[in-house]
Amino acid sequence: MRFVVEYTREERVKYISHLDLMRAMQRTIRRAEIPIAYSQGFHPHPIMAFASALPVGVTSEGEYMDMELCESIGIPELKEKLNKALPKGITAKEAGIIDEKAPSLMSLIERADYRIIADDPGLDWKSGIAAFLEKTEIWVEKKGKKGISTINLKEGVYDIRLGGEHNGELYLSLHAGSSGNLKPELVVGELLKGIKTASQAAEAADPDSGQDTGQPVPMSIHRIGLYFKQNGKWVTPLALNRN
Amino acid sequence: MDLNVKDYIYDKLLPKVEKPGRYIGTEWNSVHKALKGIDIRFAFCFPDSYEVGMSHLGMKILYHLLNDQKDIYCERVFAPWPDMESLMRKEDIKLFALESRDYIQDFDFVGFTLQYEMSYTNVLNMLDLAGIPLLAKDRGKDDPFVIAGGPCAYNAEPLADFMDLVAMGEGEELIGELLDRYKEWKEKGGERESFLRHASAIPGVYIPRFYDVSYLENGQVESVKRNTDAAPERIIKRIVRNLDRTFYPERIIVPFMDIVHDRIMLEIFRGCSRGCRFCQAGMIYRPVRERNMDKLLELAEKLVANTGYEEISLSSLSTSDYSRLEDLVKQLMERFRHNRVSLSLPSLRLDSFAKEFIEEVQKVRRTGLTFAPEAGTQRLRDVINKGVTEEDLVSSVTDAFESGWNTVKLYFMIGLPTETEEDLQGIADLARLVTDCYYRVDREKRQKGLKITVSTSSFVPKPFTPFQWEPQNTMEELREKQQYLKKALRMKHVDYNWHDPEVSYMEAVFARGDRRLGAVLLSAWKNGARFDGWAEHFRLDYWMDAFRRNGLEPEFYAHRRRERSEVFPWDHIDTGVSKTFLWNEWQKALRGELTPDCRKSCSGCGVKKLGEGLC
Repeated sequence: MRFVVEYTREERVKYISHLDLMRAMQRTIRRAEIPIAYSQGFHPHPIMAFASALPVGVTSEGEYMDMELCESIGIPELKEKLNKALPKGITAKEAGIIDEKAPSLMSLIERADYRIIADDPGLDWKSGIAAFLEKTEIWVEKKGKKGISTINLKEGVYDIRLGGEHNGELYLSLHAGSSGNLKPELVVGELLKGIKTASQAAEAADPDSGQDTGQPVPMSIHRIGLYFKQNGKWVTPLALNRN
Repeated sequence: MDLNVKDYIYDKLLPKVEKPGRYIGTEWNSVHKALKGIDIRFAFCFPDSYEVGMSHLGMKILYHLLNDQKDIYCERVFAPWPDMESLMRKEDIKLFALESRDYIQDFDFVGFTLQYEMSYTNVLNMLDLAGIPLLAKDRGKDDPFVIAGGPCAYNAEPLADFMDLVAMGEGEELIGELLDRYKEWKEKGGERESFLRHASAIPGVYIPRFYDVSYLENGQVESVKRNTDAAPERIIKRIVRNLDRTFYPERIIVPFMDIVHDRIMLEIFRGCSRGCRFCQAGMIYRPVRERNMDKLLELAEKLVANTGYEEISLSSLSTSDYSRLEDLVKQLMERFRHNRVSLSLPSLRLDSFAKEFIEEVQKVRRTGLTFAPEAGTQRLRDVINKGVTEEDLVSSVTDAFESGWNTVKLYFMIGLPTETEEDLQGIADLARLVTDCYYRVDREKRQKGLKITVSTSSFVPKPFTPFQWEPQNTMEELREKQQYLKKALRMKHVDYNWHDPEVSYMEAVFARGDRRLGAVLLSAWKNGARFDGWAEHFRLDYWMDAFRRNGLEPEFYAHRRRERSEVFPWDHIDTGVSKTFLWNEWQKALRGELTPDCRKSCSGCGVKKLGEGLC
């Protein structure tokens, strides 16, 4: 039976690499005595897969994994067992049973949403966003496994807006998944360029307000969720639940 | 401590380091306590990286043993990697404990485990980062007590100036007695010195400042004499008698990041009965004490359930000597087949390697095969009392190749006492022999892709061994020998690895060092020496400069042959094994005479005096 689990990655575990998180999950499953299925062969490994890697330093409230169990287990029991055995900072929020033949989560995912809060609440995202929206295409270099490639940022951004209590809160909705993953840092970097240009213009008018924006601006990045399109609607992998 | 500093470390410092996972401190099974009701805070310091320190069994034992006490809070501290260190120094962040992120300068105890000599500069560096005065004599009433233990503590003389206390031998019982005394002293209030006096009454506790060392004109030690009646004349090491009744952790920490030994370590026995003459561990950890098999199975079940680890390793100095090894392996295999927990068996010796056994291990997972003949000829193997023959090697590797293995690692030492060119050639001959064994196995049966790795380390004479009177080879001699082997091992399927002789040289100096080396250590650290066990960080020029500044010569410690009558800097420490026994072993070595395994017959090493019926 194939199960999908929605889990969080909170502050305490934000510095864990994806590889380390996968190993932590495998050990959690053994501690929780969840009857996971193993692959055949010389190096049997538990059959489980993750929807998307989360970069080091980023927190999330909507991560997904799926796993193959060799015995049936109730959803509440599965969640309870996992939560007892999960390291602090990771919580299994929801789970569901999915079709054995459903495609891998990684190939399904198309969109990831992020909330970004800069340490400096006075950061003028508005001018950065305006500059971003004005342009028809923005080509940037992206470092990937196969070296450096050039991508058009405008194609990878579904939505970009301000929200929350203060100006420092930025929402990004970006292209994600195995068809091409856009890192929020790339978009944020571009927005900062726009802000820099605006502040430089202000600086030219008022020489006393000079500030150094050469350093990366300290901020926290949080992933809100991962989505794909089903019957024309954006849904999370939990929508694969058969029940 | 200021809460903001803790957050600052987590939020601002960690994103800037290469591996923030080293410093997060919230791993599964890590212990976090509220400070209310805590009487003693203990910083358990491992003077190397997180990955190395977290692989160490002794730390796991003492960490959980101490934290089982309600009023004690023990936390972990590792040597910050150079990237973290430079950030901490730049931002004025002091050395903190991983769990609470509190500064360890405010703790009651700062304890270091000394696993190898080349970690000593890290000890100094950690004290400095913590803001604790480096020299014991400079510490005042607000400073913690600095204590050291571990195998290198048996000759802690090079660190004597920096340590308030040193613990000799196994710590499980000693540490409790020590902390009880501390609590009494803390409640009453008193001078630092008065606690040290109390502590020195505990068997196994060594207070370096209570002993004066005098030197002869030739630089050798004249005598080591206590300067107070509170201290014992000789400090006798501690051992726990019965491992089944000794604490063993059932909830060990599971790190997030990859560490050197990332698995459950099941300690099956302590001590070693073999008596290899180069091996310090084989002498200082005597006598042999086994853990009962049922107890081990019970521990394994609990550890797997509590950690989720996918691998168990059987840990000891000579695993194949465990009296019920086959039974134990079979039972472990059976119990953990369903959840795919595999078993690894390190430090297997050639002579008790059974084919059936290899196949058992293979059922769950294949790992590389390792053999350690240590020397290339039978003559030299007899000198070092490594009771292994060529026939043992032939039958073991043949069995292994027939069962489908194709990767073999062979470990040797170069620079052993009495070594000649013939012994070096013998290493190459053994590699050739293993190749021949492979090709003698049926083509059908053997696995393709034979790979033999020959590794040589450079012999370091260690205190408390029969070779403690012997000089180490010079770096030039060692390099010549490595050159010789590079040529001799130029053969198909064989790779050759060797160790940097510079590091081995300094290791030899400090292994048999005296108190005067404290000044050298301090100078080398000031020059920038740290993480000296890591080839990428080791700088011999830092060390040579430190010796020059202090008017000492490293050759005196490493390259000098000692007389029988010489007083050693560590002669006031008693491991149970007598100096006379060691000398007799040295003479037997020169004659090529073997000493039997002490499970078979007693050779009177002296360790029996530690307790009636011990062995």
